[in-house]
Amino acid sequence: MSEQPYKIAVADEDLNLLQRKLDLIRFPDELENAGWDYGVPLSDIERLAARWKDGYDWRKYEAELNELPQFTRDIEVEGFGTLNIHYIHQRSPEENAIPLLFVHGWPGSFFEARKIVPLLTSKSEPEHPSFHVVVMGLPGYGFSEAPKKKGFALSQYAEVGNKLMLALGYDEYVTQGGDWGYVITRKMAKLYGGKYVKAWHTNCTLASPPSFTRHPVLALSHFLHTYTPFSPYNEYERKGLEHTNQFRTKGSGYSAEQATQPQTLGYSLADSPVGLLAWIYEKLVRWTDGYKWDDDEVLTWISIYWFSRAGPAASLRIYYETVKDRSNLDLVPGVPMGVSYFPAELFVVPKSWMRTVGDVVFLAEHPGGGHFAAHEKPDELVADLRKMFGKGGPAFHVVQGKSGYSA
Amino acid sequence: MPPIQIAVPDADLELLHKKLELVRFPDELEGVGWDYGVPLEDVERLVARWRDGYDWRKHEAELNQLPQFTRDIEVDGFGTLNIHYVHQRSTQENAIPLLFVHGWPGSFIEARKIIPLLTSESSEHPSFHVVVYSLPAFGFSEAPRKPGFAIKQYAEIGLKLMQALGYNEFVTQGGDWGQRVTRRMATLYGPKHVKAWHTNFTHTDTPSFTRSPLAALQHAIHESSIIPFSPYTEFEKKGFKRNEWFEAHQAGYYTEQNTQPQTLGYALADSPVGLLAWIYEKLVLWSDKYQWDDDEVLTWISIYWFSRAGPAASLRIYYEAHHAGDIFGQPYVSAVPMGVSYFPAELFLAPISWMKATGQLVFTAHHESGGHFAAHEKPEVLVDDLRKMFGKGGPAHGVVPGKTGYA
Repeated sequence: MSEQPYKIAVADEDLNLLQRKLDLIRFPDELENAGWDYGVPLSDIERLAARWKDGYDWRKYEAELNELPQFTRDIEVEGFGTLNIHYIHQRSPEENAIPLLFVHGWPGSFFEARKIVPLLTSKSEPEHPSFHVVVMGLPGYGFSEAPKKKGFALSQYAEVGNKLMLALGYDEYVTQGGDWGYVITRKMAKLYGGKYVKAWHTNCTLASPPSFTRHPVLALSHFLHTYTPFSPYNEYERKGLEHTNQFRTKGSGYSAEQATQPQTLGYSLADSPVGLLAWIYEKLVRWTDGYKWDDDEVLTWISIYWFSRAGPAASLRIYYETVKDRSNLDLVPGVPMGVSYFPAELFVVPKSWMRTVGDVVFLAEHPGGGHFAAHEKPDELVADLRKMFGKGGPAFHVVQGKSGYSA
Repeated sequence: MPPIQIAVPDADLELLHKKLELVRFPDELEGVGWDYGVPLEDVERLVARWRDGYDWRKHEAELNQLPQFTRDIEVDGFGTLNIHYVHQRSTQENAIPLLFVHGWPGSFIEARKIIPLLTSESSEHPSFHVVVYSLPAFGFSEAPRKPGFAIKQYAEIGLKLMQALGYNEFVTQGGDWGQRVTRRMATLYGPKHVKAWHTNFTHTDTPSFTRSPLAALQHAIHESSIIPFSPYTEFEKKGFKRNEWFEAHQAGYYTEQNTQPQTLGYALADSPVGLLAWIYEKLVLWSDKYQWDDDEVLTWISIYWFSRAGPAASLRIYYEAHHAGDIFGQPYVSAVPMGVSYFPAELFLAPISWMKATGQLVFTAHHESGGHFAAHEKPEVLVDDLRKMFGKGGPAHGVVPGKTGYA
């Protein structure tokens, strides 16, 4: 099926089922003064569940989401048949705007791009470049169909992204991605870089620790940092590595389960709204940098998972499918790369390490912000993209005939 | 103390039923069997049975044939906890007092088959007076209310319970967390109170060169790619494969439970099917081709569902023990005879040399089949081991003065 305009329209019976489940919630106990030490505090979940049950109006937020220009289209994926993909496609009034594909991750969705879409597409001659924006809903997320067979891994997600852009008439384009979006756009740069993907930008500052064989100088620097008092890293980088370590030791339980037994976990997340709420809300709070979440905002974010086309369990499988592939962050040569540092991101590696991942032509460091950069710091992220792709920027005019400006 | 009976309130049964009526299942990939977690058809079948056909009251009545009690036990720094336990004396007055300690996702039900065997009187074998307590936060024992309740506290309860029952000297049997608890009991209270300990959970530290140089050297030889020889037996080498499987495929549940138990707790407290899948996965993967009966599974899980503190509370032992440093680096247990039974599908199979570096190993048995839930899967075999260890001519015969197990 070629492109169809799409409006989210959750069935009444689905809303009804959610309501009935919310009426029957059984809460766990909690230790005294546990705070956030053991996971999401009970008071937060009770408050959010109460709001979800009485007061939160899905139809209102559904209507707001439907103000975004949404579409679905069938994309053929080698070995997996056709998948019906949901996406936002917002063109700029500037004809020569740069085509940009935004790729989200877990527990994100197309919702994450909501604030940056109007900023990126806006026309403001001659101040900054404009973008035509495509926000793909990853297969198995939001309102995109999920694959039915096993083995749908990074190459497949990349294939969907590329085919979508080509189907929309964008033979050359740039990408922006965080979380799985980072790993997927990296794969896209690797597979389609130069020809289709002209540049890629990420806010996910993850790279493999340098190995002595390939990057001896970097490896030695890291050895010094780890084992001696003579660290070559600056304050930002040291805090970053500490933060990365925290994530690895305290915050990666979800990832371990999702990478090994996603189906087992899936029963909980498909059946229990409060279970799903807690599982995702924990990340929304922990992975952001003092971001003031509004309860309805949280509930909308989570409702997208609850009402997703494939159900919440499907979204977990990317962890399982990509176990071998995702730790490969070897250099993608020849495709200009941009990196934006936000200090509360899960992985904050030294800048020198990011250069082992790609041809870094743009790098920005921010004093605040976390994992969901497009949602938390839309202005900053967009400013970075404008700097990277704008006149005088290191990736200016990478897409032929689409400089982002009229002249 | 007067005996008690389990009596789940009707309202709790009704709530469970209402929830089972509203179960929303996840999707599943084609043809994946157990690769991604518990298969959908297993869960659908079990849920259908739980909803229609499974009769909790019948199984509750059967459980109530066990002589159960509750008693308040004071724990240093934690106030009083009301502890549920089974206490079955043998008709043989001189029976050996034995404390059985379960783990996760176990409960007092695990000892059900071994109780009549252990307590039976015969001139052919020793008898035991058996005490099985529900760990705090499991089954029908109260949960601690404050943070920090770790192995030391679980051990304290074990001792105080036995003493309150008039058993100042006794032996222990434990698997899973029960092994960690009984190991600590042997360290803290042996040989004065704990006269011997037996385990089927063969997890222990890798021997260090400083403490156990010979065992450490043997292991280094096994690991070495230069030396094409291993000092370990076939059983031990197979054991390492099992350990690898566990580490590669089972890290999810314990990583989440030892970092964010509260977050996971919302799903397990609210969703019967979520709880069912979470535990059933272990019942199947951790046992050795044990033919689980559906009602057997549902009773096991119902104990968690209807537990006094709720299912979330039982997860905290992972967090607390992990944070208290109770897992690795435990001291050698001196002066308390130790027995070990090896079941090949146990989750971790340490070589004998490692167990010798753990405590005063006086009894070892190797079996051809059986897994993690030895008392449940292989009751006769486990009891036989205990009878050999403690019986006439056995290496721990007569450890409890005046209570040899015989007339």
